[in-house]
Amino acid sequence: MAVRLTPVRRPPEAADRVPPRRAAGRRRVLAHWPQYLAISPFYLLFAVFGLFPVLFSLFLAFQRWDGLGPMQYVGLDQFRFLLEDSTFWLSMRNTFVIWFLSTIPMLFLALVIAAMLNSSVRFTGFYRVAYFIPNVTSLVAMAIFFGSVFSTNFGLVNAFLRGLGLGTVPWLTDPLGMKIAVAAVITWQWTGYNAIIYLAGMQTIPTELYEAARIDGAGPVQIFFRITVPMLRPIILFTVIVSTVTGMQTFTEPQVLFGTNTTLNPNTGGPAQGALTMVLYFYHQAFDNRNFGYGAAIAWLVFVVIMLFVAINWRIVRRRER
Amino acid sequence: MRPARFFLHAALVLGVIVSIFPFYWMIVMATNDTSAIYQFPPKVTFGGQLLVNLDKVFERVNFFAAMGNTIVVASCTTLLVLFFDSLAAFTFAKFDFPGRRVLFGLLIGIFMLPAQLSLIPQFVIMSKIGWVGELQALIVPAAANAFGIFWMRQYIASAVPDELLDAARLDGCHFFRQYWHVALPTVRPGLAFLGIYTFVMAWNDYVWPLVVLVNPDQLTLQVALSQLNRSYGQDYSMIMAGALLAVLPLVVVFVLFARNFIADAVKGAVRG
Amino acid sequence: MELSRRRFIQLGMAGIALGGAAACSTSTSGGGSGGANTMDMWYWTDGLSKNVVDDAVRRFTQVQLKPQQIGGNFKEKLVTTMASGSDFVPDITGIKGEDFASFTPQADRFQNLLDLGADKLASEYLEWKWKKGMTKDGKMIGFPIDIGPTALFYRRDVFAKAGLPAEPDQIGSQLSTWDDFFAAGVQLKNAVPGAFMISEAWSVFNVAVGQAEARYIDKNEHFIGDQDHIRTAWDLATKAIGLGIDGKVQANTPDWNAGLANGNLASQTGAAWVAIDIKAAAASSSGKWGVAPGPGGTANIGGSFLAITRECAKPDVAFEVIRWILSPENQARGFTDSALFPSTPATYKMPALTAPDPFFANQVTIDVLGKAAEEIPIQYESPHDQEVSGPFQTELTNVESQGKDPKQAWSDAVAAAKQIAERVGVS
Repeated sequence: MAVRLTPVRRPPEAADRVPPRRAAGRRRVLAHWPQYLAISPFYLLFAVFGLFPVLFSLFLAFQRWDGLGPMQYVGLDQFRFLLEDSTFWLSMRNTFVIWFLSTIPMLFLALVIAAMLNSSVRFTGFYRVAYFIPNVTSLVAMAIFFGSVFSTNFGLVNAFLRGLGLGTVPWLTDPLGMKIAVAAVITWQWTGYNAIIYLAGMQTIPTELYEAARIDGAGPVQIFFRITVPMLRPIILFTVIVSTVTGMQTFTEPQVLFGTNTTLNPNTGGPAQGALTMVLYFYHQAFDNRNFGYGAAIAWLVFVVIMLFVAINWRIVRRRER
Repeated sequence: MRPARFFLHAALVLGVIVSIFPFYWMIVMATNDTSAIYQFPPKVTFGGQLLVNLDKVFERVNFFAAMGNTIVVASCTTLLVLFFDSLAAFTFAKFDFPGRRVLFGLLIGIFMLPAQLSLIPQFVIMSKIGWVGELQALIVPAAANAFGIFWMRQYIASAVPDELLDAARLDGCHFFRQYWHVALPTVRPGLAFLGIYTFVMAWNDYVWPLVVLVNPDQLTLQVALSQLNRSYGQDYSMIMAGALLAVLPLVVVFVLFARNFIADAVKGAVRG
Repeated sequence: MELSRRRFIQLGMAGIALGGAAACSTSTSGGGSGGANTMDMWYWTDGLSKNVVDDAVRRFTQVQLKPQQIGGNFKEKLVTTMASGSDFVPDITGIKGEDFASFTPQADRFQNLLDLGADKLASEYLEWKWKKGMTKDGKMIGFPIDIGPTALFYRRDVFAKAGLPAEPDQIGSQLSTWDDFFAAGVQLKNAVPGAFMISEAWSVFNVAVGQAEARYIDKNEHFIGDQDHIRTAWDLATKAIGLGIDGKVQANTPDWNAGLANGNLASQTGAAWVAIDIKAAAASSSGKWGVAPGPGGTANIGGSFLAITRECAKPDVAFEVIRWILSPENQARGFTDSALFPSTPATYKMPALTAPDPFFANQVTIDVLGKAAEEIPIQYESPHDQEVSGPFQTELTNVESQGKDPKQAWSDAVAAAKQIAERVGVS
């Protein structure tokens, strides 16, 4: 699954770093000791703090455990239940719909905003701060705000829609409305972040290219589509992959908007569980219901789903590159 | 002003309003009394209750100790991540070595696992090595951040021209010098972004800190503020006042470091 | 601030120095288990009266009592800590009512309070609550904190406007069955446009299940959620939907707050602690509310327990602490400070409880609520009861807001509940 990125404007062959005649086996490895040393801190930390949890959760997926009592081996039963669990499939559908509703507008908006900020507009410093503020605010603190904004009778959004003569939408009770609300929150929080990523990438595009194009008489839109976007392809691919992975793992936004008081509500994800995402369902099973084995099975199935979906997305974006 | 310019500014300003409005409303709630939340339609102007609300927060929660701890955790995490991740990313981006593809693939795999999976096993590890309740338990595991490597690798690959490295190698720079003297200065915007992102994430993290911090005088901000939540009859203004104070340092940090996102022409770099 | 490498190194040194200082200072302040004489007590914010807890710290000097208010997800932290079987498990912990049943299979992780002398105190507490703190085989692991007796909270002015009885005892006698209550709801809907008797059908269902003799799973861990007692509750809820007397508003949402404030939600059938949220949301209508006996009898929703873990080094002292904090006198303080409805009937006669409540037009609410508390039926709650009830709520919501056919929804709910039952080991 390695993301292969060719350096800017270089023919592929010249990117070869390895000497033409490779030394055999051990000596080859030893020759690269600085590289291994450089990546070792991360992998060491992962081996200690990441590997054990991963293996433990894989082990858990074959057990039944409530956290306090003994573990009970149940073989593939958790997976069998999972495949028959209509709530899980609902959560998967929800996750994909929310992903679709949020990622595509978000990345497009981010690109446009970055392009606007990259052009010589004044007060870029102020804009940069303003657009990043959503990412800085903790959603948990903002839960009450979004509940209020999307409220059916008194929310700002519906007030706006009524002003336009479009009537009210039950954002927090209708299954599609709920997904749109979650997607809106995700977009609000992450567009600025992606815009800044694109902006950082745009800094690497040499200004001579723009000047040359302008001398040739190209307008801003042409420059955007003919120069900026192609040069940003690797970064765009990057954001697509990252948004796909994090989008499939959406948890905080639906929990903040639709997480419920367990005294009154045995479910989570809002009315009819319309905003239940896969990771939220995993969390609900693992920590609310204390079915840790079942939760682990869900988490691993989510992992497989993410892998497949990332592979598909990557293929799609890469194919457009050729 | 030309029409295109005007629309450009108008669009940007609209975006700013949408981005900032929730934050503005947070200030509105923090400066009013909780009864203002229950007004329909909701109140959108400032009140004068900010100090009253903040007093209630300070009464209940050891706020400044928590802020101190959070500053330490976020700063240390950011520095570790910036160093380890950029070093590893540089290696993946510009060098080929046996097993590179497998190791990088492993990285992406790690990135795809839901984080909450590791709550219990990580706590077990922490209790075995005696780090429960200590800030290291928050800093050290966070330094193994797959996203950071992913991002920097991608940025270094497009921002650091190979000619630059070739020139350095010809000058006799070994691996680490290439990293420190050639690559790092070139990727300042990428680093700045990763730094801010990591700092914000560490600052706002609450799931793992809630579990692993056990001493009420040794908490981070989000955990300390969560103590203000009740099951019913929430005092929202008080909670918002606390949240507002907790977010201000982040805004300050961002404003201070945002200039690094725009690197003017890289000095002395080889281009074209 | 431009980030040159020199600045980067300076910051790095500063950060590491800070981190080192912090690490050094934290290790001297001691780890979680502290000295041999500390007793850790975990509870959630307002789960106990903080004043009472602080007094307990001063009173029980034979140990160093260290109470901690845990915000955020209390159960997540407790279970994670207990699951790692470590020294960080607290000596005393609160357990929420809806979680308690699921802890009973692992009763050996907690002390049996009967061994510590609890049975002498049984007469001071409500019988059904006392029994709720016990496991099937008679071990007592939970000491009662508070309870959630249900009643009807209603708007006197809106009822009067609709020609309905507006005094609590009138309501108690005339609207004592669900059918009478629904008829009143229809009358309200016709007389006062936009007003609803019920906020959401789930509250009817949940309370009705709480009034039955059994719940979703019986004592032998067999699924009984498809039987008549649940079916009756379901039919009641769907009847309310069919009559159009439900406002389709979920509790604690801004729309709910607004409905209470302006009188569109004319009544709430809920536990005593719902009053706190009503008071906050509808502060502008203070003095216009009343509390009456709820239709169909009473049920209990919520209410928690205090437990002593197996890891506790001094269980007898821990028990003394618990019984003092939860004594009738201190439960009165819990009511005043943190709105915890007492589980000790003797408290109902104390001044703190018998004061008139201005929000409810100076009604002495304990008259209604105290009586309701004593009439709550004893039900068996299985450890998996909560989870199995999930599909019923989902399907009821489908009927309520998506217009799904009630009969289809019922069979779907039962089928899904049975699947869950099979997965968790209930036959």
